[in-house]
Amino acid sequence: MTSSADATPAGRGAQAPRLAVEDLSITFGRTQVLHDVAFDVRPGEIHALVGQNGSGKSTVAKILTGLYSPDAGSRVSVDGHALSLPVRPDEARSRGVAVVHQSLGLVKDATVLENARVGRLTGSRFLRRIDWKAEAAATEAVFERLGRRIPLDVPVGSLREDERATVAIARALQDISPGTGLIIFDESTRSLGRDALEQFFAMLDGVVATGTAALLITHRLEEVVDAADRVTVLRDGRAVVAGREVAGLDKPGLASLMLGRNAADLEEREPAHVRTEEKPVEVRRLTGLRVRDVSFDVRPGEVLGLTGLGGSGYDDVPYLLTGVSAATEGTVSLPRGPVRVKKLSPAKAVDAGMALVPEGREHAGLAVAMTVAENIAFPQTAPRAGVLPLAAHAERTRAEEWIEKLDVRPPLPHAVVGNLSGGNQQKVLLAKWLATDPDLLVLHEPTQAVDVGARQIIVAAVRAAAAEGRAVVVAGSDENEIALLCDRVLVFSDGVVREELTGEIMPQDVVSAIYTDAPRSRLRERSAAAG
Amino acid sequence: MSEQSSATAVAPPGKPDPAPAPARSPHSGAGWFAARFAVIGVWLLLAVLYGVLRPETFLTAGSFKVVFGSQQALVFLTAALLCTIVVGEFVDMSVASNFGLAAVLVTVLNVQHEWGVWSAALAAVVASTAVGFVNGWLVVKMGVNTIVVTLGMGTFLLGVSLWLTDLMPVSGLPSDFKMIALQQVAGLPISFFYGLALMLGFAYVLQVTPLGRNLRFVGENREVARLAGVRVTRVRWGAFTTAGLIAGLGGVISAAATGGFDPNSSQAYLLPIFAATFLGTAILQPGRFNPMGTWIAVYFLATGVLGLQLLGATSWVSSVFYGGVLVLAVTLSTRLHQRAR
Repeated sequence: MTSSADATPAGRGAQAPRLAVEDLSITFGRTQVLHDVAFDVRPGEIHALVGQNGSGKSTVAKILTGLYSPDAGSRVSVDGHALSLPVRPDEARSRGVAVVHQSLGLVKDATVLENARVGRLTGSRFLRRIDWKAEAAATEAVFERLGRRIPLDVPVGSLREDERATVAIARALQDISPGTGLIIFDESTRSLGRDALEQFFAMLDGVVATGTAALLITHRLEEVVDAADRVTVLRDGRAVVAGREVAGLDKPGLASLMLGRNAADLEEREPAHVRTEEKPVEVRRLTGLRVRDVSFDVRPGEVLGLTGLGGSGYDDVPYLLTGVSAATEGTVSLPRGPVRVKKLSPAKAVDAGMALVPEGREHAGLAVAMTVAENIAFPQTAPRAGVLPLAAHAERTRAEEWIEKLDVRPPLPHAVVGNLSGGNQQKVLLAKWLATDPDLLVLHEPTQAVDVGARQIIVAAVRAAAAEGRAVVVAGSDENEIALLCDRVLVFSDGVVREELTGEIMPQDVVSAIYTDAPRSRLRERSAAAG
Repeated sequence: MSEQSSATAVAPPGKPDPAPAPARSPHSGAGWFAARFAVIGVWLLLAVLYGVLRPETFLTAGSFKVVFGSQQALVFLTAALLCTIVVGEFVDMSVASNFGLAAVLVTVLNVQHEWGVWSAALAAVVASTAVGFVNGWLVVKMGVNTIVVTLGMGTFLLGVSLWLTDLMPVSGLPSDFKMIALQQVAGLPISFFYGLALMLGFAYVLQVTPLGRNLRFVGENREVARLAGVRVTRVRWGAFTTAGLIAGLGGVISAAATGGFDPNSSQAYLLPIFAATFLGTAILQPGRFNPMGTWIAVYFLATGVLGLQLLGATSWVSSVFYGGVLVLAVTLSTRLHQRAR
């Protein structure tokens, strides 16, 4: 540590803030997206920046990383030195600002060492060869600061989640001398599971304890409530709360700040409408991928949750059931008749009355360059590839119905899906499959990476779909989502169902069932130094 | 110039669209109009310009016939290329050689091996379709890179064509067979209308039928298409096979029009195909490959080249024009696609 005042851990003194953002505005065309946003990040704190999709949160991130150029009059300064705008990444880096990008921003096929040193590799004087020994030593030194050991010569793709998080943090940290600097986490944690998340915050806690600051841009309210010191909330491009102490703030309180209305009923679940008199959908002896001989029933009107640790197989079930991944054995009895899942094709699964809302809307969910109406109609138009004209009018009308039901914005059937916000895209994805009127609706992480408002609508729509008499299966790792959606939960371990949760299900119950060996702790155990 | 201003009207340069797109009405404004019809406007301007500069030669029925009566080969070839582009395969580099193979086969079988001209034509089309089928097998089933497979296949077929003809141009198709291409209808050879019908049919399938919807979804996102029950492998394979079929038909019609074929000439089509197809993405449906836009682009390019030739330029001009337009068109198409998002 240096002798400057910055070295004081978690200094709340009078020195300049680590990062100060003042009068930050940006206008696209005629639309002003940010209005005089101001907040500061102090040395040694974790400062959370939150807001719904479309609140301007990612726009702030893009300005701070130099992708967007803010309007004149905006000011961004680091340790009291104003940065030139638009932000030049090299200048920001030399002032000690490092960025960890969305989903950690690592290249899976490259090794740990290559990932850590990319952009910093130095050539030798004459032949411009890379001195890998020196590079490796520099990287080892950073891992040492984090107190972790990770092999340098393996591809990042082969690492565990928490190890990947370590590599990402190490890469950001290596340009920052201990006790100084700022790390911006731009939605970095969105793909991390619970276990990795706890380790992530344990590491981050160690980093900020030295006086380095962290700006955490995130969707997860829990990260803010559990792990941040102060929070700035953006709503409609304005900072409605700037730098409020997190202590004493709970999730509903934070959600209502983000939504601008009271969200007390946000986490309330509709009563179940399970139709016990009707024949359940019976899944028998399902085997394939990591799932081994699993059987369960889902009644019409019931929402059944599947959860477990990563690799326990709960997240393979949706794809095995619907013929997307090859199952080696298993049957599903549906109202339209029994189905053997071995050699089942997606087309036959749809015919049999199953619908899958997959994880990853950009990868498998929606064609983002096509319109909302085309996407919603696609499961109906796909199986019969004739050359008779499509019913364009009916397609439009159906799209309008679903747009209204799920409050998709903007409410335009011909809007290109890629132009919608993440939450609205997720609504379109749900509408696309609800429109097939399935008897068994299977969802995987249905509210992943959507804002609070969209989440509320999606949860209500899934509950409503069940209330109409559908059997619903939700596979997910987010305990809040599972607790909110499900009437009954199956917890997986090593490819089999280990535990069943019934009755009133709280997020804590889900987590403690998943981590039987490791009871859930707060995301961040603040270190003594930071207190 | 007008393309430039159209782009500016949609969104100011230098600032990307904000994450949540503002709810602007997409069916309004000069920008909306210009993005679709600017190239057609430039085409008309070009015709007026040439007409003013060379009224005695350009504004004649002769030059009209040259522009509209000579581009059938290009229309068929761009249609073949579109088949694979629409389903998301980058480009089929073998269509030009495959076209040449069909043209050579029909002539060689008829003239040198004394097959009936119709059976020779059928054999040529079947051969080209088979080539497309093999391309599809290699790319879709074997998973080989599209460019490598089709570039190799194209060179291979060129060699085969040269071998079949002993490096010489071939000719001698019977004159009544020529009528399938040259029969005059409304002052233009009938093959012009074949090309128009082909592109209209293609546009119809893509725009309003479930088959076309599936093709486009496969092109946009294979996994989404598969999950909705589309047999993606079959669709992609079918696209390569259809590309071969269309190239073969084009080859036979082209051979019929001239009574034979010079196998060396097929390579000269490669660049114009690309230029027209990419320029087509700036017409009618901005940022998207579309048959009618491509069809217009073919005649736009022909007009441009003819006019420059009438102004005194020699054969170098077509390379300059087609090459220049390809680069411009790809740039324009990329920018339009970004705006469309």
